[in-house]
Order: sequence, then C-alpha cells, then structure tokens
Amino acid sequence: MSTELLNEISENLQRGKAKVVKELVQKAVDEGLDPDVILREGLLSGMDVIGEKFKANEVYVPEVLIAARAMNMGVGVLKPLLAEAGVKAAGKVCIGTVQGDLHDIGKNLVKLMLEGKGLEVVDLGTDVSPDTFVQTAIDQNCQIIACSALLTTTMGVMEEVVKKAEAAGIRDKVKIMVGGAPVDDAFCKKIGADAYTPDAASAADKAVEFCLELAGKSA
Amino acid sequence: MTDEKIVSALVNGAAYPCALGANLGDFLAGLGFGDYPCGGHGKCGKCRVTAAGALSEPSEREKRFLSEEDLGMGTRLACCVTVRGDFSVSVEKKGGAAQIKTDGALPSCPLAPIFHSYGAAVDIGTTTLAARLYDRAGTLLASDSRLNPQARFGADVISRMEAALASHGGELASLVRDAIDGMLSGMAACAGIDPSEIDAAVITGNTVMLSFLTETDTEPLTHAPFHANRLFGEFVTAGEVGLCSLGENAAVYLPPCAGAFVGADIMTALTASGICESGKTAVLVDIGTNGEMVLAKDGMIRATSTAAGPAFEGAGISCGMGGKEGAVDRVWTEDGELCCHVIGDGDPAGVCGSGLVDAVACLLETEQLDETGYLEDDPAAVIRGDVSLTQNDIRAVQLAKSAIHAGMRTLLKESGVSPDEVEELDVAGGFGSYLDIKNAVAIGLLPEELGDKVNVLGNAALGGASMILLSGGLRAACEERTKRISLVNLASNPVFTSEYMERMMF
Ligand code: B12
Repeated sequence: MSTELLNEISENLQRGKAKVVKELVQKAVDEGLDPDVILREGLLSGMDVIGEKFKANEVYVPEVLIAARAMNMGVGVLKPLLAEAGVKAAGKVCIGTVQGDLHDIGKNLVKLMLEGKGLEVVDLGTDVSPDTFVQTAIDQNCQIIACSALLTTTMGVMEEVVKKAEAAGIRDKVKIMVGGAPVDDAFCKKIGADAYTPDAASAADKAVEFCLELAGKSA
Repeated sequence: MTDEKIVSALVNGAAYPCALGANLGDFLAGLGFGDYPCGGHGKCGKCRVTAAGALSEPSEREKRFLSEEDLGMGTRLACCVTVRGDFSVSVEKKGGAAQIKTDGALPSCPLAPIFHSYGAAVDIGTTTLAARLYDRAGTLLASDSRLNPQARFGADVISRMEAALASHGGELASLVRDAIDGMLSGMAACAGIDPSEIDAAVITGNTVMLSFLTETDTEPLTHAPFHANRLFGEFVTAGEVGLCSLGENAAVYLPPCAGAFVGADIMTALTASGICESGKTAVLVDIGTNGEMVLAKDGMIRATSTAAGPAFEGAGISCGMGGKEGAVDRVWTEDGELCCHVIGDGDPAGVCGSGLVDAVACLLETEQLDETGYLEDDPAAVIRGDVSLTQNDIRAVQLAKSAIHAGMRTLLKESGVSPDEVEELDVAGGFGSYLDIKNAVAIGLLPEELGDKVNVLGNAALGGASMILLSGGLRAACEERTKRISLVNLASNPVFTSEYMERMMF
C-alpha cells in the first residue's frame, strides 16, 4: 500500500504534475508515513529517474525543470516535518554563476539536481565574485563550492575562486566543482579545481560522493 | 635570442616553411586554410585535416571527435596538433563557393549623396562582409562580398574579443581592413575607376565589429555589465580606420550603435526596413549567432539581443556546415520520405542552417521527433546518405531556436504588445533569406502568430548603409532613432527565462 503510494508520487513527479504530487505527499503524511521515507522513496527517487534520463539525453531542460517544480511542491509539505524530526541534509553546497556572467539556466539545473539528491543548496545567483563564493563557504560551512560559467571570457574567474580558497586555507575542507558549456576536464585540472562534469545530473552524483568522502574524513 | 627552428610543411602538395613547435591550426589559418568556428579551442571538431609526419600524438580532445578509424587514416584536428618536425597535410581550401547575400531591400529615398564622386557602403558581418559601390546618380556600379577573415579567431564575437585580449587586436583590425580594401579595389576596378575616387563610405556592423575596425578597446564588452565605451554614430577619415585603398581624407561614416549587443548593423537595417516611419506595429529581426530584434509601435522603439549560438551556421551540429557547395539547403517530404536539395547538386557533405530548419520540421512531420525533442532513432535521423541528425544536434537546435523565439516574445511582452497586434515581421540577414518561413514557424523558431506577416529583407544592414550614403538626411534620422531606442535586457529577466523553457519544446 505505502510503496504503491510512493511509486505514484515518483511517477507524477516525473511527469511534472506538481499539484498531484503535493496532494499525494499530503496523503502519505496523513496516512502516517515517515516524512524521511516519503522524501527519499517518493520524491528523490522520482528525481533520480529524471536525472538518469537527462544524462542519457532522453529528456531535456524543460522536463527537468517541471519535474523539479513538482518535487519542490512536495518538499514544501515535508519541510516542517523533516525539521521537527531533526533530519539533516547530507551536505551543503554554495553555487553561483561567476563574476561577469549572467547565464544561469545551467546553474539552476545543477541546483535542482543537487536538491534532488537531498543536499542543501545556497544559491548565490549570478555575477558572483570569488570572495563571495569563498566567504559563503566559510560562513555557512559548505562542503562544496560549485561555479558555473557560460562565457569563455568569464571562465577564468574560476581560477580566482580556487586561489582565494587556497589563500583562505579551506582547500582541505571544501571541494570546488566547475562546469558550464565552455568548461572541460582539462580546464578543471589546469586551474586546480576538484571536479568537472558535463551535465547537471552527474554534477549531483559527484557532489554526493564528495560529501560522503568529506564526512568520512572528519569522522 | 632566436632559437626558432623552421621545418618544411607540404600543404596540399605545396611547400611552406613552418616554425617548429607551431600549432598546426594557427599555421594553416595563416595560410587561409580551414574553418575554426570555436576559435581553435578543440571544442567543435570542425578543423579536420589529413596529416602525416612529425606531429604531436593525438590528444584526448581529438579523440572525442575522431574515431580509431579516423586516426588510423591520419585524420586530425588541426588546432590540437603541435608541429614537431617536417610534415605534410591535406586540407580543404577555405570557403569554397559560399552563398552570401549582397542584394537586399532599398526603398526609395530622396537622392542627396554624402559623397562627391563615388561612394561605398560596407557591412562588416561577424561571418560575412558585403559592399556596394555607387555613383552620384545613385546607380549601383558594383558589389562584392567575402567571408570575414577574422573567423580564424573564432565564429562568435566573444571568441574574437578573447583573441584581442591576447594581443591580437592589431591583427583583427588589419584582417578586416585588408578585406574591405580588397572589396573596394575590386569594385572600383569593376566600375573602371580608381579606388581613390571613392570619397566617402558608410561602414556598418555590430558594436564589436566596428570596435575592431577602429581598434577601440573591446575588453568592457567581454563581461557583464557589457558596457560599450564607444557607440559610434560619427565621421572618421579613411586614414584613421586604416583603409589604404581610399584617399587618406576620404570620409567614413560609422553609424550609431544602441548598445553592446544592439549594433549599428541592426540600426541601419531599421533604416532600410522603414518600420519606424510606416505607422505600423512591426518587428524587425536579424537571425544570426546573435539575434537582434526591434519593435516599433506608435513612435515607441524597443530593442533587444538574444544569443542563439552558431547552430544555424553549422557549428555544434555533427553534420553541420556553412551554406556552400555540398550543403543540404532544402529538405521536404514526399510520401513520408525525406527528400533534399544539395547546393551544387553533387553528393551531400553536410547540412547548412536552412536545411537544418527544414530537416527538423520534416522529422516532426514524420513523427521521428516528438514535441519534447526526443528522437526516436538516435544516433541518427538520416537526411540522405551519411548526412544525419543526432539527439545532440536536436538539443542544440532547441537551445538556438528557443533563444530567438523567446527573445521576440519577451520583447513584445515587456512592451505590452500582444503578438496578434503585430502587423509585419521583417526578417533581415543572410540566414533569414534562405529560411523557409513555414518550417521556421513549425519548429518554433518564429512565433506562430507572425508566420504569415513575414517580409524577407535580405542584407538590410547593407541596404540601410547604402541609403544613408545616398540620402544624407537619413543619417540624422538614424542617429535620432538610436538615441530614442530603449533596450530590453534578457539576462536575469523572468519573462525570458520562462518563455525560453516553454519555447524549447516543439
Ligand atoms: C540562453 C542563452 C542566453 C540567455 C541567458 C538566459 C539565462 N538566464 O541564463 C541570454 C539571451 C540572456 C544570453 C545573453 C548573452 N549571451 Co548567451 N547564450 C545562451 C545559449 C543560447 C544557451 C545557454 C544555456 O542556457 N544552455 C542550457 C544549459 C542547461 O546548459 P549549460 O548552461 O551548459 O549547463 C549545463 C552544463 O554545462 C552543466 N553545468 C552548468 N553549470 C555547471 C556548474 C557546475 C559546477 C557543474 C559541475 C556543471 C554545470 O549542467 C547544465 C545542465 O546539464 C548559449 C548558446 C548555446 N546554444 O549554448 C548562448 C551563449 C552562451 N551566449 C553567448 C553570449 C556571447 C551572450 C552575450 C554575452 C551576448 C549576447 N547578447 O548574445 C549575452 C550576455 C549574457 C550575460 N549578460 O551574461 C555565447 C558565448 C560565446 C563565448 N565564446 O563564450 C553563447 C555560446 C552563444 C554564442 N555562440 O554566441 N544568452
């Protein structure tokens, strides 16, 4: 019964039916299901399916966005309950488009996928200076800084972020991820960042991996 | 200290000296060979050559674009190869017989030339240059066009400004100056006059192109807030802009730009379209790597610029190529089968922008492609022979067409004008002239409400420059309009963002 309901949530989420998802999540809560289970096995698992399909190029940006909208509607219902139960996110990421660049569609997609993996995300918006990335990571205890750039003339700012993080002495605690159309693995290595991925779904996978790694280190 | 060594290079059988350690792409570009749409960054896979000899090993970047078989046959990406000694290479001569539009609308205007003997109008397009020569009677004596030689520094303006930042600014200027001089001299010869008899010219182009011509610093145009220090709308002398074919003191008028990405080219196109004077509610659009668009209604003029990327110029499309010989330029269906026309009528080598739009429309019609952009038979929907479209190609088309479509809708919405109110859509630019409007609407490149209101103008930027050349009063009108125009910013614009998502669907 409960798995059926969770499957229904996941499937409606994949089809972007935000209103239905919200209703079903409420129904699951009313039936006494554990909010953490609803989140993981209903919402996040649905988002996972979308992520895999996006990676395989079977669905595209708009489908991901409407699925994410549905997910957020569901999460909205669960949020107070999760906080009450003391459920903590697996990790925290600050994300932004680098200084001089206002392209944010790719960045927003990465943000949604990160949230879809249950990570907490601080969205710094666009035109973000290296100082802001680093200071936010320090102030808000982020394990990951994620930088997006769409212009070949602004991707250089990412190198500044790495340098600033080094200067602030947080390189052992904070991983730096880079992405956006003009970025590639060679560039990531060259500037000394920790990871590049070509799409938002694999970015989220990588971020989870980093959070587990860092949690293992500090334990 | 000159420890530079020279090795011998055989290019298509002819011997050239080449510096040891040189980048093969740079070397070939210097000789005028090859296409480098991504600016030599190893990202587009378009600079394929067949090479043998002392060259660097195939890099990871090359392996992304080349199969084992390709590499086995000596195929390489020129921009990824370093010269280690003597070598030989075979490469296609740049350009081929490209199709470039030089004709275009020229509404009648009172004859009052801004020159004494002969005058020239020039359009510096990011991709192509075009020019016309007139006499005082307003007779068109000659016209000419060629590809913009700056393309070796990349297909888009950002890549070229990067090159300028890397101290190639002088080279960018002299490339375009030499090309303009070449066209002016050629046209003069054709008309039987001496180029020094051309005493005035109007040179239009986007803000970046005019900045390169005048060696104006483009650094502020490379990042937000994209502030243009110089918006032109001024007379200079031929000497000042380094044009040697004309007399030192020949007058060169550079029309005004409205902003960093709404340049003099769209402003002169606006002159040619006449929509500001028509009293109609009308839209002018130039579809290119950058789509500039202007809305005129009751004396209000609003403009914006959207970034589509070079998909419609063939870059980023697996079988993409420019509109030259061998390109599929038309696709249609007969009894559910795809049929196509190839420029030059030979075997197809790839697909150009107009063919790409047609092909996508046909795939939608035959239901090989659904409204989300999902392709039934990835890896390939075959157009003909080896020319096919992949799922990635379709995704690139979605990003590009939606940017144009959403840009137009946002411009209208932000101006409080509904698409149904628009009485006329003027489509300027080379790509627009070859475009099948019905298919452009079918794939959602243009809003469906505007599909049957289209006027195709051809190279309206050049048309408008010619009008200003021949009818002095239009210059002031163009400047006045440019001052009055108000720009709509699409970045961080929620209307654009939501339209962009919606219009990505088919
Ligand atoms: C949409 C768009 C715009 C919109 C932006 C709207 C917005 N809110 O973002 C508008 C119209 C405003 C715009 C404006 C400009 N644009 Co623009 N734009 C594009 C376009 C068409 C698509 C970009 C996009 O959204 N892609 C879809 C997303 C989902 O993909 P993505 O960003 O790559 O993200 C994916 C991955 O890269 C990855 N990823 C992204 N970020 C991160 C971060 C991390 C950490 C990781 C791991 C992964 C990751 O995940 C994402 C999903 O899988 C491209 C061309 C193209 N076809 O790609 C040009 C393009 C990027 N723009 C370009 C230019 C030049 C401009 C302008 C400067 C000039 C102009 N007017 O055209 C302006 C100014 C922008 C500004 N102010 O910063 C050029 C850049 C050229 C260059 N050499 O750098 C491009 C390539 C077009 C071109 N060839 O001319 N643009």
